[in-house]
Amino acid sequence: MNKDLKETIEKKHKEIEPLFHKGGKFEKLYPLFEAQDTFALTPPDVTDGRTHVRDAVDLKRVMFTVVVALIPCLLWGMYNAGHQYYQGTGREAGSIVSMFRGMWIVMPIVFVSYAVGGFWEVLFAVVRKHEINEGFLVTGMLFPLTLPPTVPLWQVAVGISFGVVIGKEVFGGTGFNILNPALTARAYLFFAHPKNMTGDIWAAPLDGTTGATPLGIGAAAGAQGQNVVEVLQREGFGFFSILGGRIPGSIGETSVIAILIGAAILIVTGVGSWRIMAGGVAGLLGTAILMNFLPSGMTPDGDLLTTWTQIPFMYHLVMGSFLFGIVFMATDPVSAAQTDTGKWIYGVLIGVVTVLVRVTNPGFPEGVMIAILFMNVMAPIIDYYVVRAHIAKRNAYLRKFSYAKG
Amino acid sequence: MTADFTITKGLDLPMEGAPGDIARTVKSKGDISVYPSEYKKVKLKLLVSEGDEVPRGGVLARRKDQEDFLLRAPVAGTVKSIVYGDRRALLEIVIEPNGSEASESFTSYTVDGLARASREKLLGILKDSGFMALVRQRPFNIIAEADKSPKSIFVNGMNTAPFRPDAHVLVRGKEAELQAGLNALTRLTDGPVHLCLSADKKGAGDALTNAAHVNVNYFQGPHPSGNTSTHIHFLDPILPGDVVWTLRVSDVIRIGELLLTGVLPSTQTVMLAGNGIKEEMRGYVTVPTGTPLSELLEGALEEGEMRIVRGDALCGEKTSIGDGVRFYDQGFVVIPEDRERLLLGWYAPTKEIFSAHRVVPSAWLKGKTFSFGTNRRGSYRALVLTGIYDKYVPLDIMVDPLARTCIAKDTDEAIALGILETDPEDFALCTFVCPSKTDFGAIVAETLDLIQEEGF
Repeated sequence: MNKDLKETIEKKHKEIEPLFHKGGKFEKLYPLFEAQDTFALTPPDVTDGRTHVRDAVDLKRVMFTVVVALIPCLLWGMYNAGHQYYQGTGREAGSIVSMFRGMWIVMPIVFVSYAVGGFWEVLFAVVRKHEINEGFLVTGMLFPLTLPPTVPLWQVAVGISFGVVIGKEVFGGTGFNILNPALTARAYLFFAHPKNMTGDIWAAPLDGTTGATPLGIGAAAGAQGQNVVEVLQREGFGFFSILGGRIPGSIGETSVIAILIGAAILIVTGVGSWRIMAGGVAGLLGTAILMNFLPSGMTPDGDLLTTWTQIPFMYHLVMGSFLFGIVFMATDPVSAAQTDTGKWIYGVLIGVVTVLVRVTNPGFPEGVMIAILFMNVMAPIIDYYVVRAHIAKRNAYLRKFSYAKG
Repeated sequence: MTADFTITKGLDLPMEGAPGDIARTVKSKGDISVYPSEYKKVKLKLLVSEGDEVPRGGVLARRKDQEDFLLRAPVAGTVKSIVYGDRRALLEIVIEPNGSEASESFTSYTVDGLARASREKLLGILKDSGFMALVRQRPFNIIAEADKSPKSIFVNGMNTAPFRPDAHVLVRGKEAELQAGLNALTRLTDGPVHLCLSADKKGAGDALTNAAHVNVNYFQGPHPSGNTSTHIHFLDPILPGDVVWTLRVSDVIRIGELLLTGVLPSTQTVMLAGNGIKEEMRGYVTVPTGTPLSELLEGALEEGEMRIVRGDALCGEKTSIGDGVRFYDQGFVVIPEDRERLLLGWYAPTKEIFSAHRVVPSAWLKGKTFSFGTNRRGSYRALVLTGIYDKYVPLDIMVDPLARTCIAKDTDEAIALGILETDPEDFALCTFVCPSKTDFGAIVAETLDLIQEEGF
């Protein structure tokens, strides 16, 4: 069956291919044909240059593996969107009903992200006469997962347009961007349409009731000098209920388990950098523990210092988007540091900045988005110093030999 | 003095078609060709014209920049035709052998006599016979310049790349020639001569492991533990201004042959390997230099479209059946041209096509050998994944920054990052594993050329 299907496709493609070549009717749409053609069948191209054999891996497989790793988060995100919807409207519903309701809420967001982002991707490919890049498969999925399920669809469209065009294409396309395109899109919506995006308020769809996220509640409680853990418990956000993921939040971020499954896929296949993930977690936990040593509550001078600093470190790990960000966003190899040592530093600093923004910045309850974007910008500088250190080490090794020779 | 090194970075391709232990001889039936074009970047002045008679060892051409560096005929005969390429580049000199025994002769030595020979005299013979071309010089991997004194000489007796000839097979019956060649090399440098062998062959007890007057070093580990750059890096790395000379064991044997007999060797041994060669024909063939490949490969090729690669499959030059056995050749790898399109092959959980990446199921099959074809297995893309390439380069080189520096044509930075220690072949594995199908070897080669032109 496979063979017949393959031959049919091959024949059909041969028939229509001339239409897309120079002078053909759809000459301009060649990138679309190419994408479709190489999606169905691997290219027939043979190697040139001096290396005559090649590894079976290509960028399509690498990129799609990230999408596969995101599927647990997407599925949980759908279920949870439905669950929160029924919670918000005060109705009882089973998991299957919640799942279907959630699909109804989430699928349009994903669809709009892929359709609008895909449009820009194809447009740039056609104008620039290059191939359509698989990187978009990841961006198109990552972006909706960072959004609250209540986001209006037009904002999804505007956001992904900004992310793809300004975040990526103006730099020259995949491989040349400085910032992670999905996160750029998220940041754009966050600052341009804060009403829907603060991450503080989760508005249930249709009837407008709202639910607050643990980060929002915690920061507010801390500012009033209350015992943050107690307040969270009271609001139904005990450590294990946050871990369980049936809480309000962005679509992909709530389930720690789904994210860990994704992380395992990325690490086992070698697609995502475990150094960045491990560094990020270490940086976050280390900074969270240091924060615990800061003074809090009433000072002798009568100032009220936030008790938000006192929250146990493991809460930082499971609250908000940190895990989702460090596993899927920070590991984007194009915008991350490129050297192995650089990846450690980059990861650790994302963890550090995340806690700093969360705890010391009254404006943003969540810091991971800002932390990753900030470190995206810093990554080339980290790499620069890592490479300088490498050159110094190289020279020391070489000098050893010149001394040995006298 | 011996030293042992264990290399952990790298990858042995589990490739089908390894050469067998068979040795045979092929006699040339017709014309013999000399290929001046294989001396890259060397300008030659032609000294014969069509119809001239030449003895074996007769002068065909000389280098324009070194008048005493000659190119000689491996066989006596008549110059039948001279083939020029673009801009009158000298491509090929075809000689019709006339069966005459006439031969030019050079000074001959005994094995022990070579250990006391004078450097000037030996260099004179090497240049006069054209065999100096077998001695290569790093950095840049060019023909050794006789006026430079190398700080050490490296002889490569390893074959980790898929596939190169096994030096321990080549040396059988050529023990005296090998030692003669090594003795001559010790006279060319004030420093040591390093013979680098595979640690697996430590107990071989042959002329290589027992070689005298040289340092025998053993390297263990996956490819590129057998690359000369790896040996140099661990034994005597190239500092700015340094020059080292490098040879392969097959070259040393040929130089030994020349110096022992005093006549130009007219044959050389080449390896045939790869699954494009019939299994019973994979092995070692002693063949007159300049024999057309059509004669060498007669009856050896499998059915179908095949690619003939001069050198190995990871770093070699594509050629065709119309070519001949050239002076530098020590082996040919033949693999199928694979243009097959696979249905959804980009994500199919393939077990039949090798991958070093754990994202492809075949990477989990340890110990399995694979059939390799020439398919590129994907389209060209921008460099996206980082940090994977360093796992395949045992030198103290960061591949990502070096590649980016080379693309930006920043030669100073490339030198600081260690490009002068390398040869394009060291990056062949990076090219192999790259999901974006980037040719790292070509990128590095271009920058090395640029540095050589600019001077440093």
